[in-house]
Amino acid sequence: MKKAMLVFLVAALVTLPLSSLLAYEGGAVSDGGTISGVVKFKGAAPAPKKVEVTKDKEVCAKTAKNDPTLIVSGGNLVNAVVSITDIKKGKKMAPQKVTMDQNGCEYKPHVLAFIVGSSVDILNPDGILHNVHSYSKANSPFNMAQPKFKKTITVKIDKPEAISVKCDVHGWMSGWLFAAENPYFSVTDNSGSFKLTDVPPGTYTLEVWHETLGKVSQKVTVKAKQEAKVTFEMEKK
Amino acid sequence: MAVRGYDENEEKKSYGSVFLLGTSLLVAVSLWSLWDDNITRRPWKKFQTEFYRLDYRKAKAAYDEEDKKLKADPGYQDLVKKLAAAEDSLTRGELAKKLKSLRAEEARATVRFGDLDQEVKFIKSELEEAWYEYDHAVQQGRNTKRYQETIQELEKEKAKVDPQLEAARQKREQLKEEIKNLDAGIKELENQLSKMAAERDKWIRVMENATVNLGLLSIYKIPKIRQIVLDEFDRNNFDEPTGRVDRCQTCHIAANRPGFENEPQPFRTHSRREVLLADSAHSPDKFGCTVCHEGQGAAVNSVRQAHGEVSYWEFPLLRGAKAQSSCASCHLDVQKLQDAPLLAQGQRIFEQIGCTGCHLVQGYENIPKIGPSLRRINAKADASWMVRWIANSHNYRPQTRMPNFSFKEDEATAIAAYLWSASKEEGDKWLEGHPAPAGFREGDKEMAAKGKNLAEAVGCKGCHGLAEGEASTVLGKEKEIIPNLKNIAAKVGPRWIYYWVKNPRDFSPDTRMPSLRLSDQEALAITTYLATLGSKSEAIAGIEEKLGDAKNAKRGEALVRKYGCFGCHDIPGMEKESRIGVELSTFGSKTLEELFFGNRADIRHTWDDWTYNKLKTPRIYATERIEQVMPQFNLAEEDIKALRILLASFRDKKVPSRYTADRSQRAVQVVEGRRLMHQYNCIGCHEIENRGGFIRKYYENPALAPPPLNGEGEKVQSHWLFGFLKEPIPLRPWLNVRMPTFNFSDQEANLLIGFFNGLSRVEIPYAYFDDRKVPKEHLDAARILVSKEYFNCFSCHKQGDKNPEGPQEGWAPDLNLARSRLNPNWIIKWLQDPQKVQPGTKMPSFFPGGPDNIMGGKDEKQIEALRDYIVMLGTKAPGADGGRTASR
Repeated sequence: MKKAMLVFLVAALVTLPLSSLLAYEGGAVSDGGTISGVVKFKGAAPAPKKVEVTKDKEVCAKTAKNDPTLIVSGGNLVNAVVSITDIKKGKKMAPQKVTMDQNGCEYKPHVLAFIVGSSVDILNPDGILHNVHSYSKANSPFNMAQPKFKKTITVKIDKPEAISVKCDVHGWMSGWLFAAENPYFSVTDNSGSFKLTDVPPGTYTLEVWHETLGKVSQKVTVKAKQEAKVTFEMEKK
Repeated sequence: MAVRGYDENEEKKSYGSVFLLGTSLLVAVSLWSLWDDNITRRPWKKFQTEFYRLDYRKAKAAYDEEDKKLKADPGYQDLVKKLAAAEDSLTRGELAKKLKSLRAEEARATVRFGDLDQEVKFIKSELEEAWYEYDHAVQQGRNTKRYQETIQELEKEKAKVDPQLEAARQKREQLKEEIKNLDAGIKELENQLSKMAAERDKWIRVMENATVNLGLLSIYKIPKIRQIVLDEFDRNNFDEPTGRVDRCQTCHIAANRPGFENEPQPFRTHSRREVLLADSAHSPDKFGCTVCHEGQGAAVNSVRQAHGEVSYWEFPLLRGAKAQSSCASCHLDVQKLQDAPLLAQGQRIFEQIGCTGCHLVQGYENIPKIGPSLRRINAKADASWMVRWIANSHNYRPQTRMPNFSFKEDEATAIAAYLWSASKEEGDKWLEGHPAPAGFREGDKEMAAKGKNLAEAVGCKGCHGLAEGEASTVLGKEKEIIPNLKNIAAKVGPRWIYYWVKNPRDFSPDTRMPSLRLSDQEALAITTYLATLGSKSEAIAGIEEKLGDAKNAKRGEALVRKYGCFGCHDIPGMEKESRIGVELSTFGSKTLEELFFGNRADIRHTWDDWTYNKLKTPRIYATERIEQVMPQFNLAEEDIKALRILLASFRDKKVPSRYTADRSQRAVQVVEGRRLMHQYNCIGCHEIENRGGFIRKYYENPALAPPPLNGEGEKVQSHWLFGFLKEPIPLRPWLNVRMPTFNFSDQEANLLIGFFNGLSRVEIPYAYFDDRKVPKEHLDAARILVSKEYFNCFSCHKQGDKNPEGPQEGWAPDLNLARSRLNPNWIIKWLQDPQKVQPGTKMPSFFPGGPDNIMGGKDEKQIEALRDYIVMLGTKAPGADGGRTASR
């Protein structure tokens, strides 16, 4: 009987999905520290590339648009996602309700990061047809039309993944949905900086992801109630 | 005093020891024979007992596991207590008394009912008798009064007893009902409990199945032979049907039972059991095991005998992947079998590498010659290149399908000389009519660059590699079915290239290379580009004279005949030659006596070893006296493995139709259509049956690549597809890549349509869409739905001459074409969920979630309205085939 139980236990362990073994446990963090810093772009900053609006100009051409796939501001990288990849325990994590707007035929924000399991409202205030086409692999891909009368589409992202989103009606539109595994993530702002708060003391792997430049990671040690400064550097491969 | 014939000593002698010996021997022999008969010669008994023990143990463990769960389940325990209390109240106290009296009453009521019932039955039979007498009297003309009176009397009596009987019946039923009601609570509790315990109690049945009860004693089941007889499955030497006995499941007892996947053989569950052994596939109760795995089905005396791995048994167990070779005995379409990948691979290689050029095989007779026609070869190829190519084709292109005949240079020269002389007349004539293209400048960089871009844009790479390592469809591990052109300049010159790329059929009417409808300028650019790939062949000294030498040509002709070059190439003067190799239709059934091992002592004498070595080194069995001519194909190990499985499937077998898979006309069309599809390499550009589309790797934006054709049969109308295949029109004008013109014959086009329809299981290719039945409200609603305010369909879709805004790569096909092109039912399916029909498509799903204010907000109504609208759109379009269209 004992042997059978053991076999059962081993079988259970083997068949449990890996992700649930690495599950994140949320709770109160009293003496948390902070990780902050910037993501620098190595090399000459590319000049902003104008996006040519070729369709539905009366709506889409109202605002000038630049190519969002690589934005460097003051030598720092905008729209990169910095996250801790190996944290098991920390501040509370609950699904969020977040919003991505398509106002003026452009995804705003260009990179939307949120906790996995969250619902994303995708808005269409433009009064024209858009479609939201996801190129996901871990999550099941979708391609939904969003005609004028459908002001909001809601999607739920159940698995951690950086998902490219495109509109086939307006070829220039591209955006990203970043579903993070834990609540420690931050999208670099217009100055290329990021901040993670309430991090329990310890040493972690900090990773930065950028749609064009890929991934870079480094170790960082956080002390109680102190701020750890981190600088990343990314370059074109 | 001795008595005559009486020997006192003899009488005194004791034979006890002899008797003892004899008796012991008798006992020993009896025991031995018992042992031998029941144990030694019944090894399967041990296996079965072992299995029952295993089965019981596993079931017991599972039972205990479930039992523990139930014991820990408060809900279940609560019910158990309730049941006990209810049962208790019925055995003691007031209720018990009531129940007892009710039961006594019920017994009395039953007796009363029985008595009355009996009485009625007697009256009825007396009536029968009276009626008989009456009828008899009528027929004999006697007085009937007496009988009439009897009948009346009996009827009266019956009328009196009948209501009594009915009352007694009701009384009994009522009592029964009352008793039932008292029990009802308990029944209900018992039901709930057994439902909760179902997971546990199913193991009781498993344990019971593995054991037999002898009074109090419970032992494992007594082993017995488990056999299946397949009626008329085999044929004897007189071609009469005979049955096949299959006893494999005597030991392989859990083959069709889940839960034994990790047990050792013979107790393991069959791999992919749910699919392969499903009732709709090969239920072991119908097919047994030997149908796929061979072996000696009837033998059970030893494992080796049962597996048929003994001398003189011709069908030893097919171990591992080799079992795939059995599939072809019953399945015509082996390419679609997911579980026979090697067999399918072997068949693709066999059909396309040229085996059928020399070897006849039933079912493969009509495969056209795979090599190019040599009818005008002297007008095409460089003479020195030709000689080197014939001597060893692998030097120039290691991945070529053309095998290496290991010719010496003088033999190669002789063959070239023959081919030159045989093609001279037609070749020279062709050259006369095709002067060097005007405007061609060798090495014109600008033109070459233009040609390169063009070659890549129009789709040459769907078939040809243009640089080292580039390939489209690969046969087996690495064979090219279409040449890589990286060194084409060594082989042919610009003059030939120009006319060839412009219209391949002008030079060679039967070529499978299609026309890309190039303009003169485009052809010139591509010619300039191709002429830069590689370098011209170094001329062999005196090659002209050598090829012109009649003696050489004569020797060459003999060599061509001996080595059967005409098996793959169309050669002038050899049109009537037949295949030079042996027929392979029953090769898989060949016995060792039929295989010639030459003098090789180092090769094991088995079918597998013979075939492996033959494919690896085709002339390996040659001796000083016996020459072998099969050329060297340089096959990869995995290709040899696949081919060997296919060859093993060529068996002398006639399986009755009740055991075979689909062999209908549809299956035949799929098989032959797929063969044609391979021949023209449609999968170089298009994904079909989820395979191919190899050109797609060159496209960053998949919307600009040739479309996948999975489910094409269901999607388009047959008559449209026929027209399109015969004469392609640009459906997606924004694509640079061109659907070429193949000049399919009517027969070929029909075969391809049958292929696509067969894959999509289209039963009725033609159906009628009645325009007159389209309701006006559908068209009105759809007009609103497609407008800018709603779905804005024409934001992407072309409609006749009306183009959408924005760059062309964002466009979608012309909806005016839908009427003649698309199957109306498919349009519905497509609108319901485009991603399901074609994963990754740009077409977004509009449903569920149509607008609330149109057609009552009902999605399915809106979809139907849109379909009707789209089909009607094309009515006014030019080119729509007048009036209503025939469609599915």
